[in-house]
Amino acid sequence: MAGMKTASGDYIDSSWELRVFVGEEDPEAESVTLRVTGESHIGGVLLKIVEQINRKQDWSDHAIWWEQKRQWLLQTHWTLDKYGILADARLFFGPQHRPVILRLPNRRALRLRASFSQPLFQAVAAICRLLSIRHPEELSLLRAPEKKEKKKKEKEPEEELYDLSKVVLAGGVAPALFRGMPAHFSDSAQTEACYHMLSRPQPPPDPLLLQRLPRPSSLSDKTQLHSRCTQEPRPLCRGSPTQDPPPSTLRFQAFSLCVLLPQTDPVRLTQLYEQARWDLLLEEIDCTEEEMMVFAALQYHINKLSQSGEVGEPAGTDPGLDDLDVALSNLEVKLEGSAPTDVLDSLTTIPELKDHLRIFRPRKLTLKGYRQHWVVFKETTLSYYKSQDEAPGDPIQQLNLKGCEVVPDVNVSGQKFCIKLLVPSPEGMSEIYLRCQDEQQYARWMAGCRLASKGRTMADSSYTSEVQAILAFLSLQRTGSGGPGNHPHGPDASAEGLNPYGLVAPRFQRKFKAKQLTPRILEAHQNVAQLSLAEAQLRFIQAWQSLPDFGISYVMVRFKGSRKDEILGIANNRLIRIDLAVGDVVKTWRFSNMRQWNVNWDIRQVAIEFDEHINVAFSCVSASCRIVHEYIGGYIFLSTRERARGEELDEDLFLQLTGGHEAF
Amino acid sequence: MGESSEDIDQMFSTLLGEMDLLTQSLGVDTLPPPDPNPPRAEFNYSVGFKDLNESLNALEDQDLDALMADLVADISEAEQRTIQAQKESSQNQHHSASLQASNFSGAASLGYGTNVAATGISQYEDDLPPPPADPVLDLPLPPPPPEPLSQEEEEAQAKADKIKLALEKLKEAKVKKLVVKVHMNDNSTKSLMVDERQLARDVLDNLFEKTHCDCNVDWCLYEIYPELQIERFFEDHENVVEVLSDWTRDTENKILFLEKEEKYAVFKNPQNFYLDNRGKKESKETNEKMNAKNKESLLEESFCGTSIIVPELEGALYLKEDGKKSWKRRYFLLRASGIYYVPKGKTKTSRDLACFIQFENVNIYYGTQHKMKYKAPTDYCFVLKHPQIQKESQYIKYLCCDDARTLNQWVMGIRIAKYGKTLYDNYQRAVAKAGLASRWTNLGTVNAAAPAQPSTGPRTGTTQPNGQIPQATHSVSALLQEAQRHAETSKDKKPALGNHHDPAVPRAPHAPKSSLPPPPPVRRSSDTSGSPATPPKAKGTGSGGLPAPPDDFLPPPPPPPPLDDPELPPPPPDFMEPPPDFVPPPPPSYAGTAGSELPPPPPPPPAPAPVPDCARPPPAVAKRPPVPPKRQENPGHPGGAGGGEQDFMSDLMKALQKKRGNVS
Repeated sequence: MAGMKTASGDYIDSSWELRVFVGEEDPEAESVTLRVTGESHIGGVLLKIVEQINRKQDWSDHAIWWEQKRQWLLQTHWTLDKYGILADARLFFGPQHRPVILRLPNRRALRLRASFSQPLFQAVAAICRLLSIRHPEELSLLRAPEKKEKKKKEKEPEEELYDLSKVVLAGGVAPALFRGMPAHFSDSAQTEACYHMLSRPQPPPDPLLLQRLPRPSSLSDKTQLHSRCTQEPRPLCRGSPTQDPPPSTLRFQAFSLCVLLPQTDPVRLTQLYEQARWDLLLEEIDCTEEEMMVFAALQYHINKLSQSGEVGEPAGTDPGLDDLDVALSNLEVKLEGSAPTDVLDSLTTIPELKDHLRIFRPRKLTLKGYRQHWVVFKETTLSYYKSQDEAPGDPIQQLNLKGCEVVPDVNVSGQKFCIKLLVPSPEGMSEIYLRCQDEQQYARWMAGCRLASKGRTMADSSYTSEVQAILAFLSLQRTGSGGPGNHPHGPDASAEGLNPYGLVAPRFQRKFKAKQLTPRILEAHQNVAQLSLAEAQLRFIQAWQSLPDFGISYVMVRFKGSRKDEILGIANNRLIRIDLAVGDVVKTWRFSNMRQWNVNWDIRQVAIEFDEHINVAFSCVSASCRIVHEYIGGYIFLSTRERARGEELDEDLFLQLTGGHEAF
Repeated sequence: MGESSEDIDQMFSTLLGEMDLLTQSLGVDTLPPPDPNPPRAEFNYSVGFKDLNESLNALEDQDLDALMADLVADISEAEQRTIQAQKESSQNQHHSASLQASNFSGAASLGYGTNVAATGISQYEDDLPPPPADPVLDLPLPPPPPEPLSQEEEEAQAKADKIKLALEKLKEAKVKKLVVKVHMNDNSTKSLMVDERQLARDVLDNLFEKTHCDCNVDWCLYEIYPELQIERFFEDHENVVEVLSDWTRDTENKILFLEKEEKYAVFKNPQNFYLDNRGKKESKETNEKMNAKNKESLLEESFCGTSIIVPELEGALYLKEDGKKSWKRRYFLLRASGIYYVPKGKTKTSRDLACFIQFENVNIYYGTQHKMKYKAPTDYCFVLKHPQIQKESQYIKYLCCDDARTLNQWVMGIRIAKYGKTLYDNYQRAVAKAGLASRWTNLGTVNAAAPAQPSTGPRTGTTQPNGQIPQATHSVSALLQEAQRHAETSKDKKPALGNHHDPAVPRAPHAPKSSLPPPPPVRRSSDTSGSPATPPKAKGTGSGGLPAPPDDFLPPPPPPPPLDDPELPPPPPDFMEPPPDFVPPPPPSYAGTAGSELPPPPPPPPAPAPVPDCARPPPAVAKRPPVPPKRQENPGHPGGAGGGEQDFMSDLMKALQKKRGNVS
């Protein structure tokens, strides 16, 4: 066997010395030298190493890394010859799983153990399993941007680092639920906190920070982002496993998402929401002003709910059913004989509002201002009279608010509480302003108007909560308007009140004053105020997905035969050729028409053939062909998955579709 | 209605009144227009009285009994006793009045459950729910428990369901109905009774039945505003009555029933909307050829994801300037959140867009002949306006496209953005309907079940199992029918009582009607003024004397219903069943049928009627059969129910008796 010697000490077999470095930290620290032959199996070598080290330790996770070839020697039955290892190979004996720092979509950093030896896809899948995120195929890791990292290092505050590196999951089994979270999170307070971080939306960021963060200003900037994607089936680290890799970012990369089930995957939902939010806040995806207000309102709402701890069940299931349900429970009580309220009464009485309000009706050529009237609000109808005495008679005007538009016109500091109503009528819309004296009155009337506009009366069960919500807004505005122009508060202060700047992309910060922004956000909020946390997140994600630019990854390419760079947009169902200068779509090809795609790794050219002999070829400028190839393969993989609908991933297929360049 | 809250008597009368209304309207619709309520017709078929008749009949009885038993069981025994006691005390009055009445009220005996039914019936049959007592005890027994079902386990569930039903019935009593004249494409018209919960889909189904058209997906209800020269189709999920209520009283607007291939064009040729490469001809050709599989995947991609995809649509359109006759060309873009335009000098990137309109409060219409009317550049116009606006107004937005294709794309795009996935659901339902059309006669019910039901959410649970439409009306009628059957049986048992149908007596109950709060349900007979069936009228007859019913009480099925409209003729085949219905005006269809089969039976004296309850939808009933026997023995929730309920009950009883006393 290896290591036979003559009496003089010469080796008489074909054995040679193999030096293997041991340890995680410092490769030079320890090394063992073995005598091996070309026929030695890796397994045998491992055994010898352990024997030589002669330390009691769990070595099961250790394997040999071949530095020059950047390769793990995982096939224990292969011989050294088969691997082609000679005496000059620099080999390291180290653990396959090592802690890495991962930046999550919600921008929190997490330390966990990831496999360095498995293909990335599997490593990501394992990470997802640990984080209890389903559908790992939708995620990938992004290398941290290198240059910019340095710039920002200056005063990046030490951020909280969540640590999951101690958690090891048993393979194969789906983690069981325990206390509402996967069992492995409930081990300690620390991991529990970590789960909360994962499954609950984070508070809005500090607007200042938001302005500092880099934002893509053009399409070509966006190509940078996507060039960092690594979905390669190659191990996580590209350098030696013995150095700590730079933090990577976990990101939802595939944009044809599987069904979202808020109940089963809170982490996935939350992380998606976070990613969507940051996409919007950092202007990685563009939206219009109106859309931004809706997004802001949803963020505000989500934040409010998650802070108040109402993670649980929906505030309003189906508003239409509310009253019936209430009535039902009433009746049930009745039948049980416990509460003697009479049902019929509750079913038939509808509360009404009566009060003196000042009313203003803008008309052409009138300068009249607000006038005091006696206003009666019953069911969904608003009637006003000259005075209370005339109330039994005919009102000056009667308006059915069903379907009307209700716009708050409030200035808390100015003590102005107006409700603007745009009431549709056969002749058009009639505009009317109600001016209330104080917050209380305003809240009651406003709530009534809002319900009425949806065709519900104040008997509706949501009336009280609506009133409360409105009052809460008003108080918010009071605090929120404290320092609108300049936001000296730290992130903590802004988390309390409504700091609109934390909710919108910086360009809106420049465009609007907080004072202008707040009412608009609140106005948008009234449409979403009834949503539960999960619903709101879902709504946010849906709105994000319906943005026209959603899910397009940009790569700068040069088409064959063309002299200038162009942008290739890769969406989940198509390729888009975009003019770099103008941003116009030049041409779209759909994957469903695609026959095949080929990558010529040598000349870095991707050639795609579509139906009817349409051929497209381009070389990649901003990223390697690999990325384009992986995107296309990934999307095609996802589309096959959709059809199968299985939970199980066909890993081989995935690798087949996205890999293929290993040989080169 | 709150006024009368304390006075239970009054409340009860209100209730009764509402019942009246309901029944009247039912009666009404039966009379003139060929039975408009689709559900009912379906019901007929499904049950197949004629065909299966006798055997089924028997079953029916049992079902009825079961129902009764169920309901009774809900009341604690104690309660029953009280009731009985009361009844005894009241016997005297009761006798005179109730005896005659009692014929039918087998149903009434059901106690709460049937109560409504009983009342309902009573209107037709003229017997009021006499205060119950004995029947309660007796009735349950009579019905031989047909099949022993294992219902005990579900009792709790059943109870809950019942309560729900009861509430629904209550609501139902207030259901608004309209008689609508629908213009057919052969220039004839049909009058339909449309109840407030019916969706356009239901109405279409109804029309399919009457017209024997091919039921393809292109059929739609189409509204035309001659004054504004705009028109649009109802979306299948739209509530017809709601839309019609926006019309003004003297409107010229019309409802048409016709085929429009635009309605679901996107689902038939999605490529025309999703893959349109703006005006490039080459694409056009390929588009035409898209194969079914690709279409399907395109649709799936667009409509089945987490969020739907709105077709990318942008281009220059003409916009009519407010209040002027000039049209200005602007570049518009469609996004999920609304229509945007590119302000002068800006680019069409998201951040520069200005919002033109959002879709929540507007409907989209085609403009016809706007070239003439408004000097539009072309005749391909579409209009966005709030549904309530009926006259020219600055709030109506007029847009004009270059060609028909663009117009269709915009209209469809806007509909997709506005309605989202609902549109696709509608389409699938329509397809299902069309597919079933051939088998329609046999399976009518089945598809009926498929269409989404109107907002009456909760009830679906109960009803659905049988695949029957949950429509309230329908269930009522079914109930009635059952009640009648039951009555027949009971009559046998109680010969003594039998055959007293005093027309006179019945009136007593009606008296309350006059006090009824809810005015005739028909809000406006829209353009159908012609239809004789308007509820008020019906009411008149109903309250006036109901003479008819009692008289011919055994309505010979054949007597041809008074047909006023051309409609009737066509239906004959389908309507074999219905005809009987029509005959006796007041008695709802079933009454008719039942009558024909059996002589009008004097039902046993009914139970007290306080709680609304209900006629449960036939299907449910069918299921329940076994219950009865067991129920009696088992005092469902004896404990709790006693106190409060009794009071409640007894109050109502008193009220009833009082009333009866007065009347008689």
